Amino acid sequence: MNIRLLLFGAVADSIGFRKADIVMPEGATAAELIEKLKEQYPQLAVHKLLIAVNEEYAEATTRLEDGCEAAVFTPVSGG
Amino acid sequence: MDFAEITTQPIDIATVARRVVPPDCGVTVTLDGYPRRFTREKATGQIRETRYLIYEAYEPMAIREMRKIAEQAKKAFAISSVGIVHRIGRVEIGQTSVVISVAAPHRAEAFAACEWLIKELKRTVPIWKKEVYGTGEAWSEGETD
Repeated sequence: MNIRLLLFGAVADSIGFRKADIVMPEGATAAELIEKLKEQYPQLAVHKLLIAVNEEYAEATTRLEDGCEAAVFTPVSGG
Repeated sequence: MDFAEITTQPIDIATVARRVVPPDCGVTVTLDGYPRRFTREKATGQIRETRYLIYEAYEPMAIREMRKIAEQAKKAFAISSVGIVHRIGRVEIGQTSVVISVAAPHRAEAFAACEWLIKELKRTVPIWKKEVYGTGEAWSEGETD
């Protein structure tokens, strides 16, 4: 499945980019995407990571779909 | 008049506050949030001086979440309209970074809703602040549930 990955804030600065197109196996979950990022970028281990799929907060078990947009970020700090 | 916006421009709080006023209300409560100069570090108790902040947003989702909390506030409180504007990019100490204006028939509900809205915004809206201080910079990490 092709996933549009967006990164923000500390995650983006840590990894060095804010957008990427990535490939995940059919049926992959949000948790599996996070795991894959942590494996590729071990420096992410220090952060609590949240994920949104198609602009909605996702749970660990939320399934990704082909063509979806997944955003990974640390707990929000607006306001 | 409800609205939820993100801007890179300076925010004029009077304009925001006046935009929510509908005929059936008697009061608007407005929160003007801005970067503070001094922060006490939780871990060490040290006072840190901030030079400025940089805000980043996941814009489409931030607008969605701001609209959601505005709708939730309108269900939970006897209020009429909610306006939320958040600035992104570099914001200096004391410059408005967020405005929440709530118009209602009566002030108690407007105050309560405004307080609730800023807490929810800080909990759920995908915006992040980076503090630039004398000896470095760091992204603030929010509290999670």
